[in-house]
Parts: sequence; structure tokens; C-alpha cells
Amino acid sequence: MADSGAPKPSSSVKLVLLGEAAVGKSSLVLRFVNNDFQENKEPTIGAAFLTQKCNLPTRTIKFEIWDTAGQERFASLAPMYYRNAQAALVVYDLTKPTSLIKAKHWVAELQRQASPGIVIALVGNKLDLTNDAAGGDGEGAGGDGEGDARKVTTEEAKSYAEEEGLLFFETSAKTGYNVTEVFTAIANAIPETSLKTARGPGASSAAARTEEQRVNLNGPRDPNAKEGCAC
Amino acid sequence: MESLADTLWDVVICGTGLQQSLLALALSRSDKKVLHIDPNDFYGGAEAAFSLQEVESWVEKVETGKEGLFRAASVEKLEGDTGLSFPRAYSLALAPQLIHARSALLSQLVSSRAYRQVEFLAVGSFSIFKPSPDPSQHSALVRIPSTREDVFSTTAISAKAKRGLMKFLKFVLDYESNPQTDTWHPHADAPLTEFLLKEFKMDKELQTYIITLTLSLDGKINTRDGLAVIRRHLSSMGMYGPGFAALYPKWGGLSEIAQVSCRAGAVGGAVYMLGTGVKTMNDQENPVVIELTSGDTIKTRKVVRASENATDNTGINRLVAIVGSPLKSLFDSTVEGAPTPAVAIVAFPAGSLSTAAGEASQSPVYLSVHSSDTGECPANQSVLYFTTVSEPGSQELLRRALDSFLAAVAGDTVPQCLYKLEYQQRQCSARSQASGSIFGFAPPTSSLAFDDSTLQSVHDAWKMVLDDESVEEDYLTFADREGAMDDDEIYD
Repeated sequence: MADSGAPKPSSSVKLVLLGEAAVGKSSLVLRFVNNDFQENKEPTIGAAFLTQKCNLPTRTIKFEIWDTAGQERFASLAPMYYRNAQAALVVYDLTKPTSLIKAKHWVAELQRQASPGIVIALVGNKLDLTNDAAGGDGEGAGGDGEGDARKVTTEEAKSYAEEEGLLFFETSAKTGYNVTEVFTAIANAIPETSLKTARGPGASSAAARTEEQRVNLNGPRDPNAKEGCAC
Repeated sequence: MESLADTLWDVVICGTGLQQSLLALALSRSDKKVLHIDPNDFYGGAEAAFSLQEVESWVEKVETGKEGLFRAASVEKLEGDTGLSFPRAYSLALAPQLIHARSALLSQLVSSRAYRQVEFLAVGSFSIFKPSPDPSQHSALVRIPSTREDVFSTTAISAKAKRGLMKFLKFVLDYESNPQTDTWHPHADAPLTEFLLKEFKMDKELQTYIITLTLSLDGKINTRDGLAVIRRHLSSMGMYGPGFAALYPKWGGLSEIAQVSCRAGAVGGAVYMLGTGVKTMNDQENPVVIELTSGDTIKTRKVVRASENATDNTGINRLVAIVGSPLKSLFDSTVEGAPTPAVAIVAFPAGSLSTAAGEASQSPVYLSVHSSDTGECPANQSVLYFTTVSEPGSQELLRRALDSFLAAVAGDTVPQCLYKLEYQQRQCSARSQASGSIFGFAPPTSSLAFDDSTLQSVHDAWKMVLDDESVEEDYLTFADREGAMDDDEIYD
């Protein structure tokens, strides 16, 4: 689909997942990366990080997605986990109000700890457990109908997200509803200036200047040295 | 989800210092059930890196005696609006050790694939502080020539000294073969300085150059150890790129390696609990029964932790200073194609500093200067780590070293010191050892360069935990996890 033959600029973006255990963080990512969903998935182990490209009209964003590896269970995520992240996906389970409280804690923590300018998306997952037509076309008004497991209304979460300047989505990792949209919205919201191809003052906190100093331990096959090569 | 008490753990690792963390990395593909706890609410133990806020709570803890290895910690801030940034903009390292390119730590991080999450920076020049004999003149920093190219091009030493230095560098590169061994064996246990004088006719100044390259804390390193360290330095030169022999992990040195190793442990299924320690332990039972400070009681086959405190009193004094200048002149790369160094080393030889009472320094003072590229401070500032052997007057000498250094690098204005952290770290003679189901790691050394002997006890602990399942060739040798490979790498 290359329009002119000239390659689009491509940049890596570190994206961290945050949220209470069992809200579906890994499932969202597996849906996005592999278009796959596993019912009754074991708590996360085994993924260091996954990568997935997101093609925008003018550029390609390559997400480097860091999973918590279960370290959120006892509040034991290390600073290196979210330091230098350019994007964060803060997930709650919209059938579980306490998970939104936890999500708000994470948002506050990111606002204190992470790079200024980090793009944060608040995501209410498990829309398939509600009466809303998940996979349908709307953000139905959160209801309390029969068989509806929803406990967090769309309005409540959405107005919080607006106050804090967060992107907001309700998703179903199970049906795939709205999942790609979350990542595309994040990709679009990443400011041009915080991307690794950017140079100069102001970008220093976002891993942009490191390339000249970084020592490569793996011989000449430095993946970072190839940014911008023709492919 | 299973509760902690329902699981029979294969090993409980207590503490997230470098050794415990590397053990977690080594066990990360083993299918063993690992519970990794730390009574601190941060990673890294005695190798941690702190924001200024965290420094404050650490200093309080040291003062109540809860940090056995450390004492006499204090913080001093300049009054008023000084240009000090917000507390989290800093990451001060308790163990700012440099890592020689030949260190087995680096090859293990590569073979275990953990290196992908660490950014390594180059350690640049080694310099000597030369006090001016005339107090009205500025003291100077003189760069040590440590490669043959350097020796050729330097103007700091005479032609005769150059020949001596050259001869020595050539000797060291092959010092373990004949006939070189005949030259140094008779001096093996004598101080290196004596050997340099007798066999290479080096004057005091050249001796100081060589001693500085060894980073010997008391300056009294013997010939056997000294030659080994110098050889390590020379053979490390150029290994990962031109112009540097050692590396430093961005964001706080060994702390970063500890965090990355623990993450690898978590990815492998280990359970992590910070702020949780061992309250009581009954190791007469098999499995061992542990009551955690969180209130949980758990059972485990093995326990790995720091040795019981067997501290003696010798140790080091440290002074960590944040200064309001990028100190650019220290971070020039001298060789074409070299990465911009982020760390520079300065030595204040014994006798080059003196107290107000006129007492000259008995031991060298070492300074590791970190630019903002280390991520330890904001742009246009630097972090200075001063270290010397604990002796009466050490604290004053470190402050002298700070003032003298700032005066020596001053251009139009003397850079301002915005913040100071001072403390003592005790050194321990305890050795790592296993007894029954318990393995104890010796406390970390206070050496300025990473000491590979640290890695041996991690290996020993790994063997103890895996018992007859340990396969020597697999130690810290792993394939990349799915997804960790850059897909561009595959297709290019």
C-alpha cells in the first residue's frame, strides 16, 4: 500500500500495561497482537514484551508493549517498568468498581513518575459481559438491565478520563470490540516531538537522545542503528 | 489464584540486591516455584538507586540502624531556589560501579538476553588531580594515557617516562607468560608501587597513574592483584567500541541490572513482594517454615538471603554531590567514532589533599563524575560520587576533594553544589555459603569496579537450589522470549 515508494517514518514507542490483576490486560494485548483470545487464561507469565506495528497515514508506530508479568499483584512493579514509557494503557474491569479505583491510582502514579507528555488511555474491558451490543456500533448508555454485569457506568469513567485528559474506551478483548481503535488512538496521540526520530531539547526525557551514547553489546547488529532504513 | 500459603515454594529469595536478583534471572527458565521478597519497598538493596525523596527515607532508616551496612548518613541541601529539580528527576546510585568490558557480568547478561532492557553507556577518561604548588594558581586535572596511542600523543609526560610506560603496558598484556612471570613473581605480594619502581624505574607520578587505573581503594594493591586488574583494563579497551574500557548502566548502575533481572524472574513466573521480609524462620523443619512480615506463613524447600551480619569496622566513606553544571570538558570523546562517554573518573592521589589541621590524605580519593546522560540528574547538571577509605578525617577530605574539584574545573564561575549526601559503608569479610537449606550471600564489596568474584556465589546458590537438576552449560544461557525479537531484525 506504499503510496509513493518513499518509506514512511517509523518509530518505536514503549507502551506499558497497568491495572489490577485479572482485568484483562494481557488479553487486550493478545487480541491486538495476535487477534486471539483465550478463555480462562492463566495469570500472566511468560511475556517480556510484545511488539506490534500500527500503520498511520503518515507514519508507522511500532509498539513495544510491556506486560506487568504479574508484578502488580503485590504492588511490586519496579520504576524501570514505567519510566521512559511514551504510552500507558490503564485497564479496569467494568464489572468491578474496585478495579476503577485501582486504575485511578495508576493514573496518579504515572502523572507523578512517568515522562511528562506520556499518553495515557483508560480502558474499561469486558464489555461482552454487559447488555451493550459489544461488537455492535455504540457506546450504549450504561444500564442496569437484567443479566447485565456492568457496575461502572460509561459516564462515570468517561467524565473522569476527560478531567484527567486521558483517552477513553470501552472494549471487549473477547469479541475484539474497540481493541484496535485503542491502539490507533494512542498512536495518533503520540506527539511527533517525543518520537525517537526526533532530536533536540525537550526530547531528552523520552529516550530520544540516547542513540549516540548507547553502547551496543551485540556487535554491529544494532537494531537501533537501523532506524529509517529502507525496507 | 493460589494463595502464598498453599504453594510449596522451591526457593524463597530474600532481598533484591544484585546477587539475589541475578539468581532470580538464573532461575527464570527453570520451572522452579520462586517467591522473591524484599523488606525494602524498593529494588536493589545495597545497590539501589534513589530519587531525592527516597534518599530521605533511606537516610532516616540508616539513622535508626535498620540498614546494617550503612551508617552516618546525612543530606545537605543548598537553601532557597537553587536550580535543584523535582525529587524524581534524580536517581542517585548507592553502588556506582563501573563494569569492565571483559567482565563476565556483561557476557552473562548477553547470554541470558537480559541485556536488551539495559542501556549501557561508555566510561570515558581517567584523570589525576594535580594540586598546584602555588595556592594562587588553579589545580589541574591531568588525563592518564592508558593506551599506546594515548602514550604516544600525550604531552603530559617526558619522553623517558613514555618509554617506561610503554614498556610496562606491553609487559602487562602478556604478564602471565614466561619470561614475564620471572620478573614479577618475586614481587607478587609486595605493593605494586614497589614493583613499578624496581623493575620499571617509574617515578612517583607514573606510579600514581598506574595505581589509579587499578582503582585500589587504599592505593596499596599488591603486584599480583594489580597486574591482573591493569590487564583487565587494557584488554577491555576497545572491546565494545573505540576509546573506552568500561561501561555503566543508565539510570543508576547496578540498580538497573537488579531491576531488569527481577523482571526476568517475574516473566518466568516468580512471585514478587516488596515491603515484605522474613519475620520468623524455622529451618529445623523440612520444608522450612517462614512467617512473613505480611502475616502469611509459607513453606519452602530452600532459602537464599544475605548472610547474617558479620561486619567489621573498616569500610568506605562516600559523598554524593549534585552540581549545577554539565561539566562538559570531562566528557569529550578522544577517539573518532567513540560514543560520548557519560562517566569520567578522577583520582586524588594520597597526599594531594589535606584537612584544615594540615593532615595530608593517607589514601586516594576517587571521584566518578556522571553526566545527565546517565539519567541520574536533569540536563545541565552532573552527579559526583566521591569515595575514600574510612579513616579519621575522611569526611572532611571528601569535602575538600569536592571543593578542589569544582575549583579545578571552573571556567568563569565555580559550579555550584546543590545537594550533598554523605554516608559510610562498612566492608565485610563474611563469605557466601550454604548451610543446610539456607544459602547466605556475603554483603557486596565496596570496590569501584564490578568484581567478578560476586558472580561465583550466584552460581553456587543456583547449584544449591537446582541440586541435581542443574546443567552447567545452561547457566544463564537462554533464548529470546517470543516477541522480544525485533521483527525488522528477522527480515533485514
